Amino acid sequence: MPGIYVYSDNMKQAAALIGLAAQSGKEVCCITLDSNQANELKQYGPDRIIILNSHSPLPENYAGIIAELIKKEQGELFLAASTVRGRELAAKTAGYLDCGMVSDAESLVFEDERIISSRLMYGGSVVQKAVISQLAVVTVPADNLEAVKKENVQVSIVSLEVQADPRVRLIETLAGKKDKIDLAAAEKVVCVGMGLDKQEDMKMVEELAQVLGAEIACTRGIAEERQWLPVESYIGISGAKIKPSLYISMGVSGQVQHVVGIRDSKIITAVDTNEKAPIIRAADYSIIGDMYEIIPLLIEELKNA
Amino acid sequence: MSRIIACYKWVADEADLKINPDMSVDLSKAKGKISDYDKNAIEAAVQMAKITGDEAVTLTYGSKKAKLSLKDALSRGPAEGFWVNSEKAEQADGAASSKALAAAINKIGDYQLIICAEGASDTFARQVGPSVAARLGIPCVSSAIKLEFCENEVKVSRKLENGIEIVAAQLPAVVCILPEINRPPIPGLKAVLDAGKKPTREYKIEELGLVESDLSARTETIEFKAYVMNRKNIVLDGETAADQVKALVGSLKKEGII
Repeated sequence: MPGIYVYSDNMKQAAALIGLAAQSGKEVCCITLDSNQANELKQYGPDRIIILNSHSPLPENYAGIIAELIKKEQGELFLAASTVRGRELAAKTAGYLDCGMVSDAESLVFEDERIISSRLMYGGSVVQKAVISQLAVVTVPADNLEAVKKENVQVSIVSLEVQADPRVRLIETLAGKKDKIDLAAAEKVVCVGMGLDKQEDMKMVEELAQVLGAEIACTRGIAEERQWLPVESYIGISGAKIKPSLYISMGVSGQVQHVVGIRDSKIITAVDTNEKAPIIRAADYSIIGDMYEIIPLLIEELKNA
Repeated sequence: MSRIIACYKWVADEADLKINPDMSVDLSKAKGKISDYDKNAIEAAVQMAKITGDEAVTLTYGSKKAKLSLKDALSRGPAEGFWVNSEKAEQADGAASSKALAAAINKIGDYQLIICAEGASDTFARQVGPSVAARLGIPCVSSAIKLEFCENEVKVSRKLENGIEIVAAQLPAVVCILPEINRPPIPGLKAVLDAGKKPTREYKIEELGLVESDLSARTETIEFKAYVMNRKNIVLDGETAADQVKALVGSLKKEGII
């Protein structure tokens, strides 16, 4: 029964992947570790749902089982959402299957006997298009994909008793801090970079953020080298990715690794002394100037606006 | 004494990447470097080896260009540098790289921990660590921000979307680390000089029981072009800074954002 197998540890993303896989016209089999989730997922109309029953609460420990299943059923594609767990599970599955893999595909176009994928490289500055024409694993950032319910569909649900890999065990889960800033959901973001000379000067930035009603973010250097803001505050390829209506940078040079995190902003505004800084090319509006001069003026102007 | 192996990739420095007018990408002038987060992986291996009394070593899969990387890697503290030398590495994907690295790790032997960075600065595909583990048949933990040895396990703190998870993996294992795990120091002059005296070992793929076709990419790249971000690129003019600020606020009002 060749077809596409989908999995995500995030229910909403799993539902969205079912819809994405269905675009291929091939049989869609949704894998889950939880029978309650199976009942929820069946509303999205996969052809089949397979529930894998074992003791481990860690989805990553099911990679070997999923690889075996796909091999046995001669599946064509394993599609997982790009969560932390999904990426690891997918890459292990690709290793077990000894097959190709495309990570974080921004788009997938299903043609007759092949799939055209595109993904970003070099911190988002290059787009790589590739053809998949044999068994492969693909991860997809699915948080913005919409899931669509289907009515009157027949879904076959099978439950399998399996033996998950016992060699990685869960010791403890520590929930995230309650007051944690959610940059991904912020409407406006003020971002500081290495142009900020002293930690005390954060006060000025905080005032600007307050007048704007914005969250404060930073570059990796400010969070990791100088440790002036928590690591959750840095934007970039290994940090937060934001999609506010307004992003204003202060003293940010705009290296590609940073810019990939702000790409989905509606308006990008930059203030930097260096007119050749990459951030200026990435911005809608920019001021070539010193943030120490501009910020107080901007605060005044916004107060009067 | 056993080994802790840090894997790294010698990549083109993205700072030297040139975009041609037709949006094609020119990497011919780009200098090589050890991928950014791989420096954290090497540092993590050196730190762990200090605690356990094991030997930290490095391993890379690369073309002849990667020869330059050996001294750089060893100046960061490891005792020995291993290099799988093949021109096939220039076109490697995650499947090929993980296959070459796993074969080399089997050859090196006597290891208890493999440390990889979560992703490389060119592809950032985040495949190699978990795929190496699957090929070696050993456990893997990704997204690691803290490592600790206890008995025959490595205890790992992992950063997930909504919090921290602590897991224990049986050794030998692969861990994939995030850059916040440590702050790799810049090697001093003495460390750079010492690096030249440290042993290195080069493997040809045949010595690892591989043939060229094992290391072919499984997906075919059909396009490699600059990402175009269409932005207005308006630099706000003005006699004084105050004028520029007024112009900015005016523009943002017009956009309906403030």
